[in-house]
Amino acid sequence: MKLKALVAAAALAVPLFAHAASFELLNVSYDPTRELYKDFNDAFAKAYKAKTGDTVTIKQSHGGSGKQARAVVDGLQADVLTLALAGDVDAVANAKLLPADWQKRLPEGSAPYTSTIVFLVRGGNPKKIKDWDDLAKPGVSVITPNPKTSGGAQWNYLAAWEFAKRKYGSEAKAKAFVEKLYKNVPVLDTGARGSTTTFVQRGIGDVFISWENEAFLAKKEFGEDKFEIVVPSLSILAQPTVAVVDKVVDKKKTRAAAEAYLQYLYSDEGQDLAGKHYYRPTGAKAKAKYESQFPKLELFTIDDAFGGWTQAKKDHFSDGGTFDQIYLKN
Amino acid sequence: MNITGTYGRVILGGALLATSVGAAAQQAVTTEDVDQRLRILERKLELEKEAADAKAKDTPSTSLSDKGLSIKKGDNEFKFNALVQFDGRWFTGDTVPTTADTFTFRRIRPTFQGSVGKLVGYRLTPEFAGSSASIVDAYIDLKFSPAATVRAGKVKGPVGLERLQGGGATAFIERGLPTELAPNRELGVQLQGDLLDKTLNYTVGVYNGSRDGEDGGATDNNGRKEVAARVFYEPTPGIGFGVGASHGSKRGATEAPRNYATVDRRTGISYAANTSYDGDATRISPQGYVYTGPFGLLGEYIVSKQELVNGANRGEVSNNAWQVVGSYVLTGEDASYRGVKPKTPFQSGAEGWGALELVARIGELTADDEGVAIGAFAATGVESIQNLGVGVNWYLNSNVRVAVNYNQTAFSNFSGPDREDEKSIFTRLQLQF
Repeated sequence: MKLKALVAAAALAVPLFAHAASFELLNVSYDPTRELYKDFNDAFAKAYKAKTGDTVTIKQSHGGSGKQARAVVDGLQADVLTLALAGDVDAVANAKLLPADWQKRLPEGSAPYTSTIVFLVRGGNPKKIKDWDDLAKPGVSVITPNPKTSGGAQWNYLAAWEFAKRKYGSEAKAKAFVEKLYKNVPVLDTGARGSTTTFVQRGIGDVFISWENEAFLAKKEFGEDKFEIVVPSLSILAQPTVAVVDKVVDKKKTRAAAEAYLQYLYSDEGQDLAGKHYYRPTGAKAKAKYESQFPKLELFTIDDAFGGWTQAKKDHFSDGGTFDQIYLKN
Repeated sequence: MNITGTYGRVILGGALLATSVGAAAQQAVTTEDVDQRLRILERKLELEKEAADAKAKDTPSTSLSDKGLSIKKGDNEFKFNALVQFDGRWFTGDTVPTTADTFTFRRIRPTFQGSVGKLVGYRLTPEFAGSSASIVDAYIDLKFSPAATVRAGKVKGPVGLERLQGGGATAFIERGLPTELAPNRELGVQLQGDLLDKTLNYTVGVYNGSRDGEDGGATDNNGRKEVAARVFYEPTPGIGFGVGASHGSKRGATEAPRNYATVDRRTGISYAANTSYDGDATRISPQGYVYTGPFGLLGEYIVSKQELVNGANRGEVSNNAWQVVGSYVLTGEDASYRGVKPKTPFQSGAEGWGALELVARIGELTADDEGVAIGAFAATGVESIQNLGVGVNWYLNSNVRVAVNYNQTAFSNFSGPDREDEKSIFTRLQLQF
């Protein structure tokens, strides 16, 4: 009887010691995702609290995607990465902070939303920009960030390269085209948000090669009549990718919350928020809801055109790659 | 030229226009072109500044000043400081042989200290004065919060008020008599911190334990430990009081109690041969100070109870000491527990004489006559030391101090004629940064 009483008392006491946990996650992201993750973090924290009773606080870090990846490799304690391209997450994987096959851990190759590259021009399109050819013409001032530090800039660079390769027929001619285009770039910002500042707020340049979502945001925030979006004949399917940083979450004991955070990007609410912030959702429901807001254009993938990010980075953005060859020469 | 301002833009715009006009024959340049070029230049400057600011965050900042050398990057810091004291020590009268008159380096102490991240701090101070080098301070801090830091290594035992004062900040060249009963440096681990909006400082720790006034050895020679604690309440800056205490056990013939010195660092009260510890040792020291404007007053009392044995005789010997130290800064600077900082540093051939401080001290150390009963003190030995001292400190600047002290020490013996007074004039040139 005494034993039963003890067991009962212990069972009753358990809830007294059980308590909800609190976690803090650091999401290291690229430049233009500030607005998306501000809303998403609030939504996730509420959903996670409702589901688990635990409180999760998410801190954000934004910057050029390549620069952010280097910061994580250098010790920035990111629980999750939401970077502009898989190649930057690969750089973190190469530092053994997460496994090499990280892209297989989440649906859609760990790309919960996609985007593409478009042109933002000034109201009335005074330079009559229609396609990539126009960006290499004399007298056209082009704004794009530095591909050495910005993931978005790498998408821009490769989109221009592939356009020229298809139109003019060879890698050499593509290189010559991209070289002409970069001669028209007066300022290289380190990230996409910096380039938005250069073009939109500082009033520099005739055309801004922009993330689609960033172009929509600029129009919405600074006036529909002040800017126009020009959709080129060909662009790239940009697939920003996300991953949990295993070494960090295991050390901080935040794996469950970090994994739930990224999985929530694929939920109906997460996908809806992506569409609301002008990212192209991958989920069927949100895809249908936001389909009309996105222009239709021919998109190629990095795998098809460049053999994946590893090869593309090696050929174009590594030290001595094509970007160094054309830009250092200028 | 600052081209980010309105005037700068006008000037630069004009220059660009002039250039453009000159080139007009070659190519028509519109005002829009000039405006764009100007905006591009401004943006490039803006980006260069952003890059420079970001780089500055990653670049260690080095500062060399009257506070020493500091190299800092984020939460990591390395500091180099030093304290050098060169003394002239002269005795008047016939009680001390003239061979005791000497020039000597009292302290030559470089200090290497800093932090590794927010959590870890460290300090290493070797001593090069004297016949051989030694380690004065060597400890590692784990700084969990301002209220809780764990310090492990060789540290000052948290009991005596003047002992805890920096060696370059004491009013007199040598500390007063209570320091003879307080622990000096000890090896141990202590928890320390500030509470109640930094008005209450506390330290509690466990140490190898040292004899009265002694600098503890490299290891414990009896395996018994001493616990010590101190609380000090400073409700307003410059006015504070508190109490320090220690308790431990010492036993064995290898642990003879240490003789007590005068303020001139000469033997004052001696223990008889074959006297050793044989039980508990406890110290209690109430203490306080008042520093208000140019006036300063520091007072402390300490009692040191030790169970001693000499042959078949055993007993508790309770020695005590006290002192009151007054100071007044003639040149109007604020007196302080941490020393005086001159308002106008001394400059040769120009105005500025530094700060001048007068100091006076009275104190006494009394041995327990129970010590005579058990044979720990000779029946005709010194029972008490009384010190009266006056001095002048001239702070040429925040780094250099010249001091002159006169001390007269009187002795009362347990029985028989008293030892003659000891009179000394000590001088010091001190460099500290």
